[in-house]
Amino acid sequence: MIELNSPTKRYGSLVAVDNVSFSIKAGEYFALLGPNGAGKTTIVKMLLDFTKPTTGSLSINGLPSTDAASRTSIGYLSENHHIPSYLSGWQYLQRCAELLDISRSDAIDQCRRIVELIGMQGREDTKVNTYSKGMIQRFGLGAALIGNPKLLILDEPTAGLDPIGIREIRQLLESLKDQGLTIFLNSHLLSEVEKICDNAAIINRGKLLVKDKISAIVKDGDTLEDVFVRLVKG
Amino acid sequence: MTKMFSPIIKIAKYTLSDEVRQKSFIVMFVICALFIFLIRSCYQGNYIVNGQALNAEAVIRGMSKVTFHFIAAGVMFLAALLSMRVFRRDRDDGTQSCILSKPITRWQYVAGKIIGLWILSTIFMFILHSVVFIITSINMQVVMPEYLIASLLCSFNLLFVIVIVLLLSLLMPDIVAFLCVMGIGIIGFVADGIFAISHSQMAQVMIQQNGSQSDMTMWKAVYYLWPKLAGTQQFASSLIGSEGFQGFVSIYPLINVLIYVLILGTLLFRRFRNEDII
Repeated sequence: MIELNSPTKRYGSLVAVDNVSFSIKAGEYFALLGPNGAGKTTIVKMLLDFTKPTTGSLSINGLPSTDAASRTSIGYLSENHHIPSYLSGWQYLQRCAELLDISRSDAIDQCRRIVELIGMQGREDTKVNTYSKGMIQRFGLGAALIGNPKLLILDEPTAGLDPIGIREIRQLLESLKDQGLTIFLNSHLLSEVEKICDNAAIINRGKLLVKDKISAIVKDGDTLEDVFVRLVKG
Repeated sequence: MTKMFSPIIKIAKYTLSDEVRQKSFIVMFVICALFIFLIRSCYQGNYIVNGQALNAEAVIRGMSKVTFHFIAAGVMFLAALLSMRVFRRDRDDGTQSCILSKPITRWQYVAGKIIGLWILSTIFMFILHSVVFIITSINMQVVMPEYLIASLLCSFNLLFVIVIVLLLSLLMPDIVAFLCVMGIGIIGFVADGIFAISHSQMAQVMIQQNGSQSDMTMWKAVYYLWPKLAGTQQFASSLIGSEGFQGFVSIYPLINVLIYVLILGTLLFRRFRNEDII
């Protein structure tokens, strides 16, 4: 489903992503792990064509990431998600549905279902500027689910959330497992990743350190955190 | 084809609805409403100078032209004001990443933004001109349908302002982009004024008397190549009066502005294609 063919991204002398190659199959719950500044968000940006790789290429469903059609069935939640403050959560979801060319009646049905799924019934008609960060994040996740995407790209979906918010997002992601979605989760919350994902890759300073099943990365007696610290600290 | 234009129309629609909520738009709307309210009294009553009644229709036509220029220039200012923060606002409130994470290309996004801003400012200008048109028609029984056609012609100036401000806002801070475009506009207006004065009979006589036949070719080239916003406005307002059509000379400013729109539009699309989305 996702292929990274040695993309490298340089910002002047800084190498944000250095020749990283891996692939993700359909249906995988995949986590990209790394410390701050490791290059995780840059990889996500290259996947969505928000930034161009200096060399190498990326593809989604066999289409190069530079082709807008590759984003046809993708849901994306950005780190520190923002929603225009003058919209209500419902209006925001409707806008996202409209941008995906979903018919009005379908959009209403989907938005209703999603509002229920993200647990925001009763709050969907109030303006976004009255929402807490966790509520905005939930609506962001809801917007990513519109159009029944086959791939969800989540960049730090729990950033800035309190423990309850983190747990709720995790439970929401776990509940989506049955729907056969592929999830690309970008995070540094290792305990959450360990609970949700099957596969993971760890990167540091733009370089890929390991990519495997979490059960293969974490040996007996270790936690993902132990392995992560060991790999990152070298 | 419909699939290609559908996202553009949607983005234009969102731009329209988002921009009318902006403070700068509301402030300008109030200022313009006040302006119209103040000038409406000028269209009432008879015009008498030194006890002699003036031709009311001629006075109204003259005054309507002045109002026409004020409104057109004011809306250009508003269009620049609205355009300068569009990309930054979209980036900050997540709209840009929301739209571009969907199967929508960057040129569709930019085209939607340009069209939305253009429609909004054109409608705004057309409404203001229409109010003057209605006041004139009702108070003085002088109907000037050409006033509205002239208003639509001036919308090309708005398109120029929107495209150049959007382009410059990608290259420099928003306020600097705004000031640059204002500078371009003001220089154009002043240059047109100087050009008009230098072609007056008195100026021609003075030039001949002084024998100042210095080489002005370069200045003339700069003058003709400079974005002719004032010229386009003048061409549009010539429809209101009875100045008559002077062929290519009359229409040149409009062609000049349209060529600039094409060039700057191409540069804007190319620049935005390589822009990093945050």
